[in-house]
This record gives sequence, structure tokens and C-alpha cells, in this order.
Amino acid sequence: MMRRAFLAAVALLTLGSGTIVGAQVLRLPIPRIGPRGQPPPPPVTIEMLQADLVARSGSDTVYFAGSGHGIDAGGQATLVAQARWLLANPAIRVRIEGHADELSPRDFALAIGERRADAVRNFLILQGVPAAQLTIISWGKERPVGSGTSPMTLALNRRAKTVLMR
Amino acid sequence: MRKRAFNLAMLLAVMLLPGAAAAQDQAPTVIAVPPLATPENVATAAGDTGLLARYVADVIASDLRSTRELVPVGPANARVYSYPEATAPSFTQWRTTGAKSLLTGFVQARPDGRLTVACYLHDIRGGREIERKGFVVAPEEWRRAAHRCADAVYAKLAGRPGSFDTRIAYVAESGAGSARVKRIAVMDSDGTGHRYLTVGGATVLTPRLSPGGDRLAYVSFAGEQPHVRLMNLETSDDQPLLPGNAMSFAPAFAPEGSALAISIAERGNTDIYFLKPEGGGIQRLTTAPGIDTAASFSPDGSQIVFESDRSGTQQLYVMNSDGSNQRRISFGGARYGSPVWSPDGERIAFTRIAGDGLRVGVMSATGAGEQVLTTGPRDEGPSWAANGRQLVFQRSDASGRTGLYVVSVDGGVPRRTVTPQDGSDPDWSTAGAR
Repeated sequence: MMRRAFLAAVALLTLGSGTIVGAQVLRLPIPRIGPRGQPPPPPVTIEMLQADLVARSGSDTVYFAGSGHGIDAGGQATLVAQARWLLANPAIRVRIEGHADELSPRDFALAIGERRADAVRNFLILQGVPAAQLTIISWGKERPVGSGTSPMTLALNRRAKTVLMR
Repeated sequence: MRKRAFNLAMLLAVMLLPGAAAAQDQAPTVIAVPPLATPENVATAAGDTGLLARYVADVIASDLRSTRELVPVGPANARVYSYPEATAPSFTQWRTTGAKSLLTGFVQARPDGRLTVACYLHDIRGGREIERKGFVVAPEEWRRAAHRCADAVYAKLAGRPGSFDTRIAYVAESGAGSARVKRIAVMDSDGTGHRYLTVGGATVLTPRLSPGGDRLAYVSFAGEQPHVRLMNLETSDDQPLLPGNAMSFAPAFAPEGSALAISIAERGNTDIYFLKPEGGGIQRLTTAPGIDTAASFSPDGSQIVFESDRSGTQQLYVMNSDGSNQRRISFGGARYGSPVWSPDGERIAFTRIAGDGLRVGVMSATGAGEQVLTTGPRDEGPSWAANGRQLVFQRSDASGRTGLYVVSVDGGVPRRTVTPQDGSDPDWSTAGAR
């Protein structure tokens, strides 16, 4: 068995490139990581952290009225809870993503998205979150939620989302 | 026969005399556009010259048909003439058609492999030639020669420059929702000569062609930060306009030279800046707290119209191009965005934002005489044709699909411009140069 594998490896080296034939002959045991008989623990993914933020803060998103950037009482409560989570996880970097609805022309959508993300950033800093932990981006109206132009869809798109980064 | 011709002449006189006064403003001019001639049918890289002669007439007629002022007849079912008649038409024959003007010409293969495309505009009643143009082009470029013939005809008969030999840069879109792929594309204004300039890896927005037509400014999300980039269309060199990681957008070329106005957003505050890519520094033009964006230069470069929410809602403002003398011009009771100054300097096109949606309109450069031109509810981002008579804009439907439409500033139903995919953010170049 070992001898066959060795020969196959030599054949591969000789050929200079892995051929199908060589690969089929080469059957080495797959190394196992972790204690015998136990699968390795799943790594904590950024998606799991994001879900945890949502569970503990109520939401990762705050919404805005009209073409404004003011954060209402509900949004403030969400951000206070988000700030608590972020302070408990200082190693996690955060990107606040601002968005606009379809009723904003292209350039204004970019500008108001930035302004909304900045408003959320300022609120979190006032809650004690280190500025270095936070970056912002405006997506303008380039990443819409849902389709259609109903008042509900428009309202869902006037938003800023707190996105955890690796 | 003689009597019939006489009656016809009388009829024409009756038709044309009262029309003579009206022709100054409204009545369209009928122009016969028969197939062009060729001195000798020669095979070229783009087809036989006899065939190209017909295609050139097709393009000219199609261009003229898109105007309000001219009504082309032909080339289908039009009288076919011989090569010598291109320069010396038989006016007695053409008078029987009822057309006021006649376009003739020829396509000739040259010994160097290129084509000569010549066109002649005649006044049928007066029996004389009133304009002539000749172009030497590569066989594949025959369409450009046709557009430039149409430009010459339109300029002579309508008294305004034509805009058929111009290009439209826009954003080609595919896919849906958050997975939408956007690519910068450019095409001749009749939809031909289409090509993509970016590959679709990063979302791109608002392409703007330089006055010389050789460079393109646009916004890219590459690196996950929206920023203005500058592409050289001859070398395909493509660079960020600014160093660093600033969020910049809304590029607008000054009418001459290489200078641009852009918007930079920082700390929730967007302002308009003026800069020259070759160096010479960057100058901040607005300082009001809030959002100042969407700059567009007046054709003489002395002024800039832009959009600001400093009053509490988005409104249109004009300033001198050094940032002085900022004043509000929109008072129509709605919100206004994406202003663009007309090529003649007289008017400003805009997007009007109200509870019932987005519509495209025009007002005078002082803000008076606001007119809404489209029915919405998702019409935005107008751009002027070089002749100042038409606007191209973006229309979105309820499912988010987009398309480019052209509307006359005199009103009428917008006409969809055919693009291979959905289209948004059109920029109708006023430069004919390629």
C-alpha cells in the first residue's frame, strides 16, 4: 500500500503535473483534527455574530422618514442596545451601511445614504463605542430591499444597517 | 399630361403658399430621401457600395423621422436615380412628389479601400442645391457618414445643429434587486455601435463623457467605497480621480478643457468641489451644512446649477463657477434634483420629486416657466441632446426594470431607445468626435 503510493508520487513528480491516473492511484489517509471520535467544533462565523447582534439588539437596522436622517425613539433604543453589544465585542469591526429609497435621484441617494450612516455612527460613538471600531459606506439606492414602489417598500429602504466585519 | 402637371403645380402652390408663414414655426418640411447612387457597384469590407447607398439613405431617413421639423419620404418606394443625377437632379420629376426638399448623394469606393459618402440637399421648388457634404470614411464607418449627412440636413432646414452623430454613455443593467449587475456602456445615439466599457465586477453609476469625447468620468463601488474614476477611452487607462479613500460622486465635466466638478461626502455633509485632473489643486465651492450635489456647468462654463437641501428640502441653486453668488431658482412647491444645463444656456432640465413620484421637466435658467414633460412615476436623470431639442432620461417600472427614453422639450410621448439590456443614468454627449 505505502509502496504503491510512493511509486505513484514518484510518477507524479516525474510527469511534472498531476494527471488523473496519478491522482486515482494516490490514496493517502485524510488527517483528522480534534479529539479522537469527536468532530471539530464549528468556527464562529460572521453570520452567527450578526444573528446574535440582531437577537440581543432587536434589529441590526434603523429606519428613516422621508428624505431625512433623524433617528426616532425606536431607532435610538435599537442603537443603544447595539452599542452595548459592540462594547462587549470590541474586536469586531463594524461597517454602517446607509441606503436611500427610489424616490431619491441617484446623486442625492448617495449623499443621504452617507448622511444616515454618519448619523448612526455618531449615535454609537456617543454611546461609548470607539470611533476606530466603526466605518461607514453609502450604497445610495443600489442595494434595494424588496421590489416595487409601495410606501412600505420605500420605507424599508430608507435605512442604515450595522454590518459586522471580519 | 401638360394639364395635369399644371393642376399639380396649382395644387402645390395652394398647399405651400399659406404654409409659407406657418413653416416658420410649426408645419413640418417634407423631404424626399431616395436611395443614394453609386458610380460603380464595388464590394467593400462593409458590403457592396450599391447596398451601402441604400443603407445610408435608410439611416438618414430614420434620423430625420425622429425630429418634429422634418418628414422624410423614402427611401422605400422612392424614385431611383442614376449617379449623374446625384449632383444634377431632374427637378421636374421631383416636383410631382409634393416634397419641398430633396436629398441625393452617392457612395463610392476609393482606391485606398475607404469610402466617399457625399450628400446634396436641394430645394425642389427653387430647383437649386442648398447644401453639400462629403465624408471619407472606413467602410465600417459608413453609418457615421450617414448621421453627419442627417446633421447637415437638419441644421440647414431646421436652423439648429443636429445631434445624430453623437453618442450616449449609460449604465447597462442585468439581474434583479441586490444582485443587479451594472456596466458602463456607450453607443451611437441611434443605438448602433454598442460596446461595454466596464466588466461588471463592481457597481458603477453616472458615466459622463468629456467635451472632447475622449475620456469618461464615472462612479465605481470598487473597493466598497463609491468614488469617481476617470477612464481614457483611447488607451482604456482607468484611475481613481482622487487619492485616498474619500467618498466622491456626481462628476460633471466643465464645457472646455479637462476640469470637473464632483461631490465629496464627509461626516454627513456633501459639498461640491472643482478640480483639474492634471494637477492644480482642488477647490471647495459650497460650504453650506447639508447636501450640495449634482453639479452641471452652464455651456460657457461661468456658472454651475446644483441641488441642495440647505432650505430643508432638495431645491435647485445656481452659483458662479468659483462658488460665489449662490441663489435658489426652484420655487415650484416640489423637491427637485439632478439639474442639467441646456447646450444653448437658456434652460435647465431636472427631476421633479413629489408624492406621486419622479418626473422629468424643464425650466428657464432663472427658474421661471417650469414645465413637466413626462408622466412618471419613476422618470429621472435627464441629459440634453446637442441640439437642445430633446432629452434622454431613465424610466423605471414597478418591478425595478429600467430603460432609456427620449422626449422632445416641446412635449409629446417619450420614445424608448433600444438597448441590449436595461439602461439607466444616460449621458448624451454633445461631442461628435469619437
